[in-house]
Amino acid sequence: MAGHGKDYEKVYVWSVLLRVYHWVFALSIFILIATGLYINWPWTNTWMEGSHQWTMAIMRYIHYVAGMLFTMATIARIYLWFFGNKNEKVWDFAPITPRNIKNMITTSFYYAYLTDNHEHRTGHNAMAGMSYVMTILLAVIQFITGFYLLYPESSFFVGLGSVFGTQQTARFIHHILNWYFAIFAAVHIYIASWNDIRSPEGLISSIFSGYKFFPKGHH
Amino acid sequence: MDRNMFTGGLPGTISRRGFLRACAIATAAMGLPMEMVTKVAEAAESPERPRVIWLHFQECTGCSESMLRASHPDLATLILDLIDLQYHETLMVGAGHQAEAAFEKAIEEPGYVLVVEGSIPTGEYEDFCMIGGHSAEHNLKKAAKNAAAIINIGTCSAWGGIPVARPNPTKAVATGDIIKDKPIINIGGCPPNPHNFLSAVLYYLTFKKLPPTDIYGRPLFAYGRRIHDHCERRPHFDEGRYAEQFGDVGHRLGYCLYKVGCKAPETFGNCSIIRFNDVEVWPVSVGNGCYGCTEPNFWDTMSPFHERLPGVPLPVNGGTIANATDIGKKALGITAAALAIHAGIGVAKSFAKGKKKEEE
Repeated sequence: MAGHGKDYEKVYVWSVLLRVYHWVFALSIFILIATGLYINWPWTNTWMEGSHQWTMAIMRYIHYVAGMLFTMATIARIYLWFFGNKNEKVWDFAPITPRNIKNMITTSFYYAYLTDNHEHRTGHNAMAGMSYVMTILLAVIQFITGFYLLYPESSFFVGLGSVFGTQQTARFIHHILNWYFAIFAAVHIYIASWNDIRSPEGLISSIFSGYKFFPKGHH
Repeated sequence: MDRNMFTGGLPGTISRRGFLRACAIATAAMGLPMEMVTKVAEAAESPERPRVIWLHFQECTGCSESMLRASHPDLATLILDLIDLQYHETLMVGAGHQAEAAFEKAIEEPGYVLVVEGSIPTGEYEDFCMIGGHSAEHNLKKAAKNAAAIINIGTCSAWGGIPVARPNPTKAVATGDIIKDKPIINIGGCPPNPHNFLSAVLYYLTFKKLPPTDIYGRPLFAYGRRIHDHCERRPHFDEGRYAEQFGDVGHRLGYCLYKVGCKAPETFGNCSIIRFNDVEVWPVSVGNGCYGCTEPNFWDTMSPFHERLPGVPLPVNGGTIANATDIGKKALGITAAALAIHAGIGVAKSFAKGKKKEEE
């Protein structure tokens, strides 16, 4: 490495598959929120009527296609929980090991501005890890309820979705989770930016390039 | 709807309950809030019934038939009790000079509502429709002179209908082409739904003015929306499930009739909502596409009736869910391939590492 390579070292953190997963997941979430809210409240219905605009049909179609991508992204992420690299595996960041539980406490102090000390981890900190595990589990619920609503005549998806009750209960869960993902996206972008400013490691660029930068000997 | 819905205990009578029910249905058909039912009922039972003169020209009397017999006999009774029908060629008992005398007497006093059924032949062809020795045009002009408003019942009087279809052998025109100085309302349809006519009359009784209309003079409460948008087969259209020809599997399964010539995507009306004849049917519900009969010049512009209407964009080719399912399957394939490649590289790497270790 040239230039300032003395102070920082470049570490390969995120595999190609994880980065593809992240952007498909992120993009599909934005599309799903926008189209999902429209389907919930089709506010253009009367003034677009009679002008050959199949607004609702198009919104539903986009929602379904984005839902397919969302599902595939979720499956890829769950695969990486077990077969990804060391930063991508679930036990690296889920608060289930003593190391991660300790990290969760220090991170919460760091986020509350109570301390400037924090662990330089190549992967996720345990606080982020917990929210990502939760998000993926909720994503599974979201796509199961979604498929339950989309294929009301398929015995497979009806069997799967009936865990959540009737179609209407599933619709309600699906709707509430839509808001979870909207809030998650806002919080996620805020905390990622906050971390990138407070502790410059190339956190944001790492999800494009796969590389993070750490002070030598700090990880 | 139950046929006895509007009747009282005795045959041919109307109970108070049945009367209010009819007013409620008419109020709903007009798109008025339910608080208006009392107003509509008050107007309907007022002793001052509007005088109505009903003229027949070039038509088949199907509008009167549908109005009086086919759909709601008791509602028709209501309408006849509601309005003061002074002249109706099909219904009146009188004939010949007696009938003509009744007509002359009826048009003397101004302020009546003129209902016109049928188109009017003009020019050298005006004697194609003669009543009491006078041409249709002569009779219409005479009757319209003292009329407060004109209601055209059916597509013939509204826009010419079947008589003006090419080559228009009688040079027929619509009422509005001859009478320019009176408020005109068009109840399109071949025949129109009697509810729409009834509602227009009740609107006039309640508010003493004609209801708001679209550019073709049709009341918006009945003709403000496309039939297609409220069709019970619409989900099949969105999903790309069509009857390809009459009698095929799709037709038997009740799929969308668009490809066998349904004109509902270009036709405005409430047929798919209020339906016909007390038994909740309308053309599409019994497996025949809409002919577009509530639209001006439908006989020329909507035919051939069993050919696909051109230029209707399908929302998503192949149907929204079917298409999304297809994309979903492809995405699943790509994901599986990506995971397999990822796993393959992992296995190959560990295999290479293992070999290295062995070499060391």
